Amino acid sequence: MGPFHLPWLTFGALIVIAGSIILAIAWSIWGFKNGEDQ
Amino acid sequence: MSETAIYVLVLSLYMLMLVAIGIVSSRRMRSSEDFYVGSRNVGPWVTALSYVAAYFSSVVIIGGGGFGYRFGLATFWVAAINVLVGCTLAWIVLGKRVRQFSSRLGTMTVPGFLAERFRAPEARIIAAWVIALLLVIYNVSILKGMGHAFEGLMGMPYELGVLISCVIIVLYVSLGGYIAVVWTGFFQAWIMAIGLVLLAFAALHAVGGFSAIAEKLAVVDPGLVNTPGSWGWAGLISFALITSFGVWGMPQMLARFVSVRSTSVLRVGTVVVTVGGAMAILPYICGAVARIMYPDLASPDLAIPTLTKNILPAWGAAIFLAGVVSAGMSSFASIQITASSAVVRDFMVKGLGRSLSEKQTIRYSRIAAAAIGLVSLAIALRPPALVLVLMAFSSATIASTCLWPILFGLYWKRTTRWGVLASMVCGLTTTLGWMGIGSPFGVHGFIPGLLVSLLAIVSVSLMTKRMPEDHLAKVWGQK
Repeated sequence: MGPFHLPWLTFGALIVIAGSIILAIAWSIWGFKNGEDQ
Repeated sequence: MSETAIYVLVLSLYMLMLVAIGIVSSRRMRSSEDFYVGSRNVGPWVTALSYVAAYFSSVVIIGGGGFGYRFGLATFWVAAINVLVGCTLAWIVLGKRVRQFSSRLGTMTVPGFLAERFRAPEARIIAAWVIALLLVIYNVSILKGMGHAFEGLMGMPYELGVLISCVIIVLYVSLGGYIAVVWTGFFQAWIMAIGLVLLAFAALHAVGGFSAIAEKLAVVDPGLVNTPGSWGWAGLISFALITSFGVWGMPQMLARFVSVRSTSVLRVGTVVVTVGGAMAILPYICGAVARIMYPDLASPDLAIPTLTKNILPAWGAAIFLAGVVSAGMSSFASIQITASSAVVRDFMVKGLGRSLSEKQTIRYSRIAAAAIGLVSLAIALRPPALVLVLMAFSSATIASTCLWPILFGLYWKRTTRWGVLASMVCGLTTTLGWMGIGSPFGVHGFIPGLLVSLLAIVSVSLMTKRMPEDHLAKVWGQK
């Protein structure tokens, strides 16, 4: 059983949402450092 | 103040704001580019939040609550895939290239992009027809959702709810075009978020906190806590795929990328759209709470209206209703402007070769937007049986027709005109044909449509002559 009394597989959905936010921030920072505006 | 007076006050203020945005936007209207893509000068917050607002319609809020009620916490995965694929990856994979390619090719619409990218005027006609016809049908389902929201939450007759919603949208879209659509979408996303957060907080308080949901839901039925639970993998995966990957082929969503000021807008926008999109989980949480509190409702779709009426004060319920109506209006308005562009720019101007001045194009676009809204209204008041069937497939059919041609057009130079035409025809006919034979094995028509159109675009492209190198160099910005 994972956090909040959720089965791990169900809790995985919350991890995916958090992971998406981290991915978006990382991509954004990478873009500001390396990208060029068009 | 009576409950009805609070509803009327909140909704009147909200609708006045929408019309005011429409009027202000209309004063900035100079060209057809202003009407369709806001002069390609829209910033990150407005673009991202209007994308979220267009993505999640009232059907998603009320229907999502119904799914949460019926299938429990496995529905969190639908929200998760919507956020990852429908928001974050859509912006990362499609955003920059759609902006760059549409700018280099001088196009504003999906049919225009397909025609110019593949030098295929036929693709423009097929896409314009599919988009104009099926988006109107899709709009009917959104109007129906809004009518039922007014009916369920406020007790207003269905027809009156549909009529008020449609008239207001037609007014601000026809007046203000795309700028009005994105700015109203921006505010509507905030109203949706406030409404959903209010309801979710009240629901969590009523049930004893987030941890208590799984505990209490397991008592009702352990299958409501597990993944995939009573839904099963096939149902869960196909629903999550349709509502997330399907968005990649929806022209009203791609219009957001065409309209951004520069590609740097996409960097901030991707973070905003991901955080904003995360609110997709809230209707499912509320639906699950409704299952704990009211396990014997006559229909799962009553979950959200019942919860709202019982746990929110009148002003909170009025704000939530404004949020639900916002969700529907923003999706409807985005579709209206896209369908209008398909009719005027792609069909009248490019397809029939009619020469229109900028003023005439704006005038015809306004008329087309109003006509599309009114046709949707007429059908939504008394939808015939065929329309009800087509509704379930309209968005999936558009996506299975346009998704691969767009994606391959952005990433695979070897894609050819004939490959794209084969893909569009195969995607369209397979999805409709699958529906016609009753969706065998319980598989949604989107899945076979997508597979057959993928096979068609790859195989036919490899068998036919490559696009000229100078054209590809121009599209990829290499000269």
